[in-house]
Amino acid sequence: MALTGRAALLAVAGALVVLAAPAPALAFWLVVAVIAVAVGVDLALAGSVRALRFERSDDQRVRLGETAEVTLLVANPGRRPVRGLLRDAWPPSTRPAPREHVIDVPAGERRRVVTTLRPLRRGDFTAAAVTVRAVGPLGLAARQGSHQVEGRVRVLPPFLSRRHLPGKLARLRAIEGLNPVQIRGQGTEFDSLREYVVGDDVRSIDWRASARRADVVVRTWRPERDRRVLIVLDTGRTSAGRVGVDPASGDPSGWPRLDWGMDAALLLAALCARAGDRVDFLAYDRAVRAQVTGGGRGDLLPGLVTAMAPLEPELVEADAHGMVAAVLARARRRCLVVVLTDLNATALDEGLLPVLPQLSSRHLVLVAAVADPRVAALAAGRDGAAEVFEAAAAERQRVERRQVTARLRRHGVEVVDALPDDLASALADAYLNLKAAGRL
Amino acid sequence: MTSVTPTITERWRSWRGVLGALAAIVLAATVIALFGGARNGGRLDIEATTPQGARALAELLRAQGVEVIQVTTFDEAIERAEGSLLVVARPEFLVDPAGLAGLAGRPGARLLIAPTPAVLRALAPGVTARPGAAEKVRAPGCELKAAVLAGDALVGGSSYSGAACYDGTVGVVGDATLVGSGSFLTNGRLPEDGNAALAMNLAGAHQRVTWFAPRAPLGVPEGGEKTIEQLIPANVGWFVWALVVAVLLTALWRGRRLGPVVEERLPVVVRAAETVEGRGRLYRARSARDRAALALREAVLARTTPRLGLTATAGENEIVAAVAARTGQDGGRVREILYGGVPTGDAALVALARDLDTIERQVRDS
Repeated sequence: MALTGRAALLAVAGALVVLAAPAPALAFWLVVAVIAVAVGVDLALAGSVRALRFERSDDQRVRLGETAEVTLLVANPGRRPVRGLLRDAWPPSTRPAPREHVIDVPAGERRRVVTTLRPLRRGDFTAAAVTVRAVGPLGLAARQGSHQVEGRVRVLPPFLSRRHLPGKLARLRAIEGLNPVQIRGQGTEFDSLREYVVGDDVRSIDWRASARRADVVVRTWRPERDRRVLIVLDTGRTSAGRVGVDPASGDPSGWPRLDWGMDAALLLAALCARAGDRVDFLAYDRAVRAQVTGGGRGDLLPGLVTAMAPLEPELVEADAHGMVAAVLARARRRCLVVVLTDLNATALDEGLLPVLPQLSSRHLVLVAAVADPRVAALAAGRDGAAEVFEAAAAERQRVERRQVTARLRRHGVEVVDALPDDLASALADAYLNLKAAGRL
Repeated sequence: MTSVTPTITERWRSWRGVLGALAAIVLAATVIALFGGARNGGRLDIEATTPQGARALAELLRAQGVEVIQVTTFDEAIERAEGSLLVVARPEFLVDPAGLAGLAGRPGARLLIAPTPAVLRALAPGVTARPGAAEKVRAPGCELKAAVLAGDALVGGSSYSGAACYDGTVGVVGDATLVGSGSFLTNGRLPEDGNAALAMNLAGAHQRVTWFAPRAPLGVPEGGEKTIEQLIPANVGWFVWALVVAVLLTALWRGRRLGPVVEERLPVVVRAAETVEGRGRLYRARSARDRAALALREAVLARTTPRLGLTATAGENEIVAAVAARTGQDGGRVREILYGGVPTGDAALVALARDLDTIERQVRDS
């Protein structure tokens, strides 16, 4: 049960009556009795909360930064109307609004309650309790009770780098020779024959085909298709570090490396799918956290974001041996393995570098990492000894990073090391360069 | 059923243990309070076992066969006064003039303990008191049998005209026995010196003792002076109680949450640059200027040598010569900056960092 402000007001009015009454003791007990009886009657006449039935809309998916509307159907099978407040409670970081709804459900009817969620974080969120406070006809007291109504909202990665997609697709078409006019593509795979037009490279004229026909015919080329790309996301402890500025909430404490990695992976996957390559996805720290295999072109991105949504950085050291084994088990044919991790010298020395030859001997490996703009800012600090000491530490870290990059390149590994905002674009460019060079 | 609120039965089931334990504690406390040894009470109350009480004296008197009865109202005192010794233990509470007059009208022996002027006027007329006698152990110094037998005792307070013993602080005037202070009757003082004997001799003179010790003032003093409690109308007290009820209801209204607190598993928040900042602070805490200088110099060399057209394998002399030629700075100074010793202080380290910046900028811009 719960009381309302009206009950307290009644008690104050009763106190004034006691002050003025000729027999104050009697008046006091009378006032107490009146309040008790009124509250009791009100409680008895209030609609039953326990009997309410709830129905929720299906599980929802929403991109981070967008709003989700969750609807709740409240059915009142009782004989008395349920009037009062309803709270559909969700975890605080989904920022449910309004916090409480005013409801009035007549007996035997249903009402719809819509709560708007504006999530601050990626992940799965389950509904907490639905609480109803049904006020009695006198407005003095209310029955209150909670119901557990299943409901889930999956907040997907925002895929902010999709704004780069048109530009990268234009580049891809240029490589494929489809744009702006059909010129000789840069690829190595034979595509088709067509008639010669002025401006075509004379080296691409197919003399044998021209001899069979009246016209001069040129061969067109395009990059290899149906290559395989395996994107590996490191969800170990280094992926928890926050870098840059959180683009979803503007939080200056930054966005985890994991989220920047996801953003880059999504752009790469979208691009690969358009380029006709097959994309597999694997999230790994000490075990496989998520995987998407052989998605078709249509449902690749939805499958990817759904698989990525519940991923959280695990606070354990990533197991490079296990990761390489998992990659080798999935990629039997030669493919491009994109590892999204951090270029942390200690972690790579003990983890990836010793086992890298196993991977790079069979596959083309590309390591992509987010650089921290804060390290660059620290390295430029010159005001006072404290800043210079920090600058020295930052320089040392950059030197280590350069050394580790050089060692990776010696292993024949491609390295993309970019600031958070540029990572997705840089990774896409690296992929397009490999494709144009026919190295896939 | 989706309801997660417990029913009344479930609630009773989960709370009955706690409620039972509470009830047991209250019951035990009541029993101990009712039948336990210690009793509180006012000064010279024959029920009280505190140092200020008079339970010990009452028990001693009863052991001698004296009937001791405590009364707290004028009516009872007047009724029992005749044929017994009336001990006025708390004269300061006897403020009702009518009651005092009624008491004065009854014959009988009286033991007045530190009487107020009003009590003295009513029950021992003609006697005057002189306050200001120090409370201390005194010798009897008189012929009164009770005092002579008792010997030294703790007396004092006021001295009375007509009283002979203990420097005038104890004496018999007519029916009334006057005592300037009641300290020697209390539980705390009774065992000292001749206190017990004096008390027994004075109070045990009769077979029946009426111990008049009210616990609150009786009546209003002459002249109609009222206390503050009596000036406040009875309504106000009940009004305050009604306000207490209102405050209680307000607290219940405001204190009730609409549903439980929602808990959530929050992600870790670790800034990636924290390790760098931590290492910088470590350098500073240990004054590791050698490592800091080395890191800064290495970084500048790594960035400038490609611009000078040199490879990573270039030697010190080669680099110094190239930098000096490019920037126009003195070769010795360039060598000192790029390959010199450890800076001697924090200021020197800051200066080194700025010098390195200058070299890097000059190489880049030239």
